[in-house]
Amino acid sequence: MQRIWRAALVAVVALALAACTNAAATSGSTSTDQLRIGTLLDVTSWDPANADIGFDGPYLSAVYDPLVALDKNSRPVPALATSWSYSPDYLTLTMHLRTGVSFSDGQRFDAAAAVRNLEHLRSGVRSGQTYADVTSVTEVDADTIALHLKKKNDSLLYYMGLGRSWMASPAAIKAKSLTAAPVGSGPYTFRAGESTPGSQYVFTEKPRHWDRATYPYRTVKVFPIADPTASFNAMLSGQLDVNYANAADIPYAERNGWNIASKVATWVGIQFTDRTGKQLKPLGDVRVRQAINHAFDGAAILKSVGQGSGVATNQVFPAGDPAYDASLNDRYPFDMDKAKRLLAEAGYPDGFRVTMPMSSIFQAWQPAVQQILGQLGIKVTWKNMSPADYQKNASTFPMFVAVVALDSNSAASVDGRIASRQWFNPNPSTEAFPEIQSLLGRIQAATGDRQTALIRELDAKVTDTAWQDVWYQANNTYFSMKGITVTPITGMMFPTLRFIQRG
Amino acid sequence: MIKFTLRRLLSGAVLLVVVTSASFFLAHLAIGDPTAALLGDSATPVQRAALRHQLGLDRPLLVQFWDWFSHALHGDFGTSWRNFQPVSDQISIRVPVTLSVVIAATVLAALIGLAVGITTGLRPRGVLARVLKVASVVLFALPGFWVSLILVLTFAIKLRWFPAVGYVPLAHSGTEWLRSITLPSIALALGAIVMIAEQLRNGFLEVTHQDFVRTLRARGLSSRRVTLHVLRNASPAALTVLAVMFVGLLGGAIVVEIVFNLPGIGSLTQSASQIGDIPVLLGLTVVTVVFVVVVNFLLDLVLGWVNPKVREK
Repeated sequence: MQRIWRAALVAVVALALAACTNAAATSGSTSTDQLRIGTLLDVTSWDPANADIGFDGPYLSAVYDPLVALDKNSRPVPALATSWSYSPDYLTLTMHLRTGVSFSDGQRFDAAAAVRNLEHLRSGVRSGQTYADVTSVTEVDADTIALHLKKKNDSLLYYMGLGRSWMASPAAIKAKSLTAAPVGSGPYTFRAGESTPGSQYVFTEKPRHWDRATYPYRTVKVFPIADPTASFNAMLSGQLDVNYANAADIPYAERNGWNIASKVATWVGIQFTDRTGKQLKPLGDVRVRQAINHAFDGAAILKSVGQGSGVATNQVFPAGDPAYDASLNDRYPFDMDKAKRLLAEAGYPDGFRVTMPMSSIFQAWQPAVQQILGQLGIKVTWKNMSPADYQKNASTFPMFVAVVALDSNSAASVDGRIASRQWFNPNPSTEAFPEIQSLLGRIQAATGDRQTALIRELDAKVTDTAWQDVWYQANNTYFSMKGITVTPITGMMFPTLRFIQRG
Repeated sequence: MIKFTLRRLLSGAVLLVVVTSASFFLAHLAIGDPTAALLGDSATPVQRAALRHQLGLDRPLLVQFWDWFSHALHGDFGTSWRNFQPVSDQISIRVPVTLSVVIAATVLAALIGLAVGITTGLRPRGVLARVLKVASVVLFALPGFWVSLILVLTFAIKLRWFPAVGYVPLAHSGTEWLRSITLPSIALALGAIVMIAEQLRNGFLEVTHQDFVRTLRARGLSSRRVTLHVLRNASPAALTVLAVMFVGLLGGAIVVEIVFNLPGIGSLTQSASQIGDIPVLLGLTVVTVVFVVVVNFLLDLVLGWVNPKVREK
């Protein structure tokens, strides 16, 4: 009996000793040489062709250099491509490349390597979309390449900078070994032996990297932490320096003296997929869509469900973007009487029936939608499904609750949110809206300020047409310890390492 | 004994085939086409079709099943739909994490549960027995994640003795490994400790009053030897609970793996479920069923060793 108690006691003492011997290790890093980042998701893939732009930024930017990077205003800036120019017809993009750069396996970065990479990215299941308009990539000389396009593409450089032009070793691409381990020319070396997949990834600096000044930390550790509570606890316990944060924790972060950085990342509201009324006749009438826009109090939903972290608006162009027009925000003031009047004018004084999808990730908004549409007499039948099924099936319903990522490039927003077929927008049906179609054509043909002015016109037009019912734009928020500044970029769910600096 | 062993192994193999086959078809029927979730916002129908082809989803379901099953027999569970890495590689990295926590929790539960169970069995009206009664009610009533959070708040955030999140492999550092699994193991073990102690105490109380114990005492055996005899007869129930608990802890590990951000099979199951990564889910199903079969098999052997009467049955 005593032996059993002794064994139990030994186990407890061993644990206590383990705790005491390393208590200092968890007491927070005071070294500014080390950067420990907590992010929401594990790395999707070390192969840039299979990676996601959203949350893979910190991982991929540690080991790879891009051809094109973005500055804090989302403008494309040189990286491995030192300069570029379009031909007068915008169908050839010529890029001059940096010299003297090598991949971690010793292979040289040159025009042949860049071409090999772009071909790999063009054929990638996840990266291919960016290069859909690129017909071929050719070597002009040892340090120059040319991308040949089938039509003018105003968002190509933006997407390349966002995370679609990471350059990997051609030998690793050929060997198809990138899925298992990255081989890049980036500012850090991945330490596989010190890393634990799914828990922590360790990177150490390359002292002779061509852009050393942009990456001030000697060691970077990235911790994927899916649970917001766990991630906040890790920050509180001193295990993290930078953290993808939950807006609800902002008051605690302020109390702890952490830096808080926020920027809009998604729009939240109702997506109309059936604007011509093919599936649900009432939605084909603009007054019905406008009525729904008037019925929702976006600011109140932002406050109650979105914890006030974002901007109340009815636009899909991010707040602060050149195409964003603050004056459009009073187009649909909350007015239930007007909403009912519009519905009656459209011939639906008693509302109508609609079936909408629902899944756990949208449940926070479900009561508001049920209640508000109910007040208009619109009776909702919910079809419950898993989050994975939601994204797959939502667009088969005439309308659904949506959270859609924003882009910080106006041309990319036009294409991705309005004009092209996407999972959330299966029927752009611009042919049924001649004014919008005409504007899209003029935007495609224009450049510079003229193009921005036309995009603002389009923004007004789609808002008037109630293309969707946007309640608000939600922020992504990042906490960082004093002495570390994070610059959020709309379009990157987690910024790349160049946006995490001392200061 | 050989016949018994072969029979158990055969029934285990049948269970494995039935469960994994059913899981394959159910998963494919329930999840269907995963390309929208995998490719995200901007995927075109052409891209989705290309991915479906790459994943082999454009083939008949029976062909897909046979392909998966024949490869699984050789330990090849295919590649993940999320990151295109071999499933067996991912599982082999994750299993040691979960096993570390579950085995440590089981050892803790066994040692402390045994000690408390025997003590309270011998002194059913003692202070410890009363504490056990209260503890069993309280710990069963408390949700696992709440207990985990209290441990994190106290020992990681306030005292900073242990890390709040993360796992360090044993190969990297023994002490860091121990520190990383301590709080999760305690969180998992607490419920198991009272359950084992309760079972053992009840077994003790039942056996202590039996005739053979009185005879042993009458023959003048020392109280230590009498206790050992009682323990042998009282332990089967506790051992069964321990084995069931081990399997249960594998499932319960999901909660602690999320709270402590451990890259084990629990958190992998959760993330694979969210995006409908069928190859990973099927690989995890196989691993879990193998655990259940092996643990039950070992339990039968141990029970037979501890109590020969069980073997006769």
